[in-house]
Order: sequence, then structure tokens, then C-alpha cells
Amino acid sequence: MSNSALLEELARAVVQMDEAGAAAAARKALASGLDPFVAINDGLSVGMREVGRLYDTGEYFVPEILICSDAMNAAVEILKPHIRRAPGHEPVTIILGVIEGDVHDIGKNIVKIMLDASGFHVVDLGRDVSAERFVQAAREAKRGLVGLSTLMSTTMENMGKVVSGLSEDGLRKDFRVMLGGAPCSEAFAREIGADGFGRNAKEAVELAERLSASLAMKSV
Amino acid sequence: MQNDKMSPAERFTAFLSGKPVDRFLCVPLILNHAARVRGVKVGEYNRNGRLMGECHAAAYRRYGHDMIAIFSDTAIIAEAMGTELYYPEDDVPRVERPALADPKDRSRLVTSDWAGRGKLPVFYEAIRAAAEALHGEAPIGCCVPAPFTTAACLRGTDHLARDLYRNPALAHELLALSLEAAKQFAGRIMDAGGVPVVVDPVATGSVLGRKQFETFALPYLKPLHAHIAARGFPVILHICGQTARTLDPMADSGAALLSLDDISMAEARDRVGGRVALMGNVRPAQTLLKGKPEDVLREVRDLCEIGRKCQAGFILGSGCEVPIASPPEKIDAMMAGVREFGRM
Repeated sequence: MSNSALLEELARAVVQMDEAGAAAAARKALASGLDPFVAINDGLSVGMREVGRLYDTGEYFVPEILICSDAMNAAVEILKPHIRRAPGHEPVTIILGVIEGDVHDIGKNIVKIMLDASGFHVVDLGRDVSAERFVQAAREAKRGLVGLSTLMSTTMENMGKVVSGLSEDGLRKDFRVMLGGAPCSEAFAREIGADGFGRNAKEAVELAERLSASLAMKSV
Repeated sequence: MQNDKMSPAERFTAFLSGKPVDRFLCVPLILNHAARVRGVKVGEYNRNGRLMGECHAAAYRRYGHDMIAIFSDTAIIAEAMGTELYYPEDDVPRVERPALADPKDRSRLVTSDWAGRGKLPVFYEAIRAAAEALHGEAPIGCCVPAPFTTAACLRGTDHLARDLYRNPALAHELLALSLEAAKQFAGRIMDAGGVPVVVDPVATGSVLGRKQFETFALPYLKPLHAHIAARGFPVILHICGQTARTLDPMADSGAALLSLDDISMAEARDRVGGRVALMGNVRPAQTLLKGKPEDVLREVRDLCEIGRKCQAGFILGSGCEVPIASPPEKIDAMMAGVREFGRM
């Protein structure tokens, strides 16, 4: 089987929500000597991006994304131990979490899945995360992005505390902060000193890519 | 209230029977915000029925809106069925431990006689307390979490979402059980004189596609709605988030009134406004919490214009719960706006 056929099989299994098929394709890829790093990036991630497109066009919904990501993860688990070489360049880290006071994490989980598939290194802090924990994770990561989410208007104000916490720690210049969640808006992001707002998972990935580029420019 | 010729109760009754009203009804979804009006913490409000009723009566005296809506959180029925909640001191309770996170462990799932469990009795007491204070001046609504939302709180939303593919039998089993519990709870609300307001936030088009809605949400909304209609009560369904894709089945659910959030009201009117009354949708966070009173007035004016061509009726509302910390002048602006732009 050619490499391109293997990559296609990996991608297809993800799109078709076929967890067993994705695992089988991953084993096949290893057996035929395909670089596991390539299998993830040019196979599974391509499939997951197609899933994102189908979500965007209203053909897939939250249940489908979760099942597709389960298929992707099953294959990644098989491939990961065999990755020998480091990737060409370090992926950008994004620290992701639902802000303190809110436990609605379906939206955040979808964004995480799509950022993963787009090559970001996602540090998922989970839900009900305090500003202090965001800042601490930023301190450990040194530079990158911070993605804050909430579904509740009562907890929106806590997002500002993360931005001011980063400033107080002298970390603000090394991080871009992005917001997500129904009550937020571009205007609210500006108000609390964040760098942008993504209305859905697709916008979140585009925003993360834009902010990563601006972060790279700034450091030159 | 100033310039009004009818009381909220008179207006509500006239609206439901298709008789003339003096202006559009205005029902901002003042839920936990009622605690703020009375100056108590949300954590005190949501476990004390008498206080909860008094808070809503105080909110009515303050704002004069056309229906009070008694509510704590969307997990109240799941709580009566075994899910454990966490109660912040001054915020909405949230799911801490779903009853059936592990489907093999059924020891915590309560399978009958839910109406007296958890904090459901708080709501019967709240309805009675509000009724004593309001003397029939305004209708008293009380939120009833719909089966899909309850099932999500019993399993955990991400687990239930996967069940739709991997274990649909379990999903249907929990949905059927949640329906029975919702019918019991709605029955007790109606016994106490409250109008059930069915809320199904997890079955939003932001999470489910139309087919999933039709397979897993609609078949359980219909009998709940029929149960309410059979007692002669109006059927009100609120689903927040994006609902453009699920609007048609929502309109076919037997509801007389759909309360909508993130959708163009003009589009909703053109699609289903001929067969079901519509309510909404001043933006809760962007406008009621963060906007200026002028922003509220502008949205109210636009919505009233759209509402005039809603054949089956229109009520001015908020897209979702009025944020707890909303400045009162924004809600005042909604009421002032409906008196200015919503006159008949």
C-alpha cells in the first residue's frame, strides 16, 4: 500500500467515525514503515480538519466531532510511542480552559480538538479554572497563547483577571489572549485587554493562527 | 404601571385567547437576577422556596414585567434523580457528579417518585409565596427542564453526546425516565398554580443537528407538551443558543410559544411565525449586561417592528436568562421600550 493510500485511509477513518478502522490503519502505517509523525500530521489531522469543515457547514454536530476525535485519539495512541524525531519546528503552545465559575466545557473541548488537529500544542486546564492557574501555566510555558472560554455571563468578568494576572507577572508580552463562548464578543475582548474573540471553533483556529503569527513577528 | 391599560395577568390571558392587548407583552427572563433585586445571595435564594417567591414578587414590583419565571438551574430534575450539584455562595448551582457517569453503576439513579426529592419542593413553595404576594396581578411561570437537558445532567453532556451513536438504547432509556420525572414535576407546578416553562438548553442547535433533535429531543418534548396542554395550560418552550436548524421541529412540538435566543427573529417569523407565537430576543450578555440603555431601546424597537408581523403572536423577551449582574436600568429600558414601541 502506498503512503498516500495509507494517509487517505487514516483520514477517512477519522471522518467516518470509525475508531477500529483508525486503529487498524495506524498499525498498518507502522508496519509499512510510514513515519508516525507524518501519519498524524498528513493523515489523521487532515481527516480532523475535514470534520471541522463538515461541522462548519452544518453536516456534523457535537456528537460527531466527539466520536471522530475518539477515532483520531485511538490512532494517535498507537502512533505516538513510535515517533523518533522531533518535529521540524516547535509547535505553538496554547493554554486552554473554561474560566472559574463555569463548568460548560463542550465548546472548549471542540476547540481543543480542532487546535490539536491544526498542529498546536494544547495544554488543557479543564473547567472551572482560576486566573492564578492560567497564569501559573503561562509561567511554565513561557510563551504562546491563552484561550479562555465561558458560557455564562456571570463568569465573564473573571476573564479580565487572567489578562491582568499575566501583566502583573510580566508575561503579557509573550502571550496572546483569545476568548470564546456565547456571552463574549470582540468588543468585550478589547474591553478586558484580550487580543481577540472567536465565535466558533473555526474562527478560534483562524484566530489562534493569526495571533501565533503576530507573536512570532513581535519576537523578531 | 404607567401608561398601561391592562395588568400583566389580563394581558397574558388576552394574548393566549387571541384577544386585543394594549401593547406587546414583555417577559425578560429574570431568573436568578431576582435574588439581586431582593438583596440576597443566589445561594440563599435557590434553597428557600418562600424567599425565592418573595424575590420574584420583589422583581415584579421593581420592573413590572408581564410574567415572572421561577428558576434556579437546569439540573433540578436530574438532582431529584440522583445527580449531585455544587452550590456556590452567590451563583447558579452546577452539576458536580452526574448520577450515571458510569452506566454500570446504577446505585445512585432514582427511578420513581421524584416530585418530593432534591429541591423540587422549593419551587412549589416559591409559586405559592409569589401568588400570595402578587394577588393574581401577574402570571407565575416556573421552569421545567426538558428530558434531553435532564438526561445530559444525568450522564454528563459529553457522555450523552457519544451515547447518541454508541449507546442509543441507554440514551432513550434515560430520556424516557427524564420525561416521566418532568411530567411529575410539571404536574405539581400546575397544581400550585404555576405555568410550566419548558427549557431545553442542551438540545440547542449549537450542539445537535436537526435529525438528532428529531430523534432524541422532539419525541420527549411532544408528550411533555401534551401533558401540559391537557391541563389547559399554555405550552412555552425555551431553547437558547443557535436554533435556526432546529426551528421547524421546535414549532412542531406542540408548543404555543417559542422563546428564542441566537437567531434572527425576522427569519424565525418568516419560517414558523404563522403557526406558533414567538418570544425574544434582546441579547443577554452583549446588550442587557454590557450595552447601554440606548442599545436596549434600539433592539426593542427593531424587535417590535418584526413582532407586528408575527401572525401567531409575539412577546418581547430576552434571548436567555437576564444576567444576574445586569444593571436594573437596562431592564427598565426594555419595559420603557415596549411601552413606547410596542403599543397597539
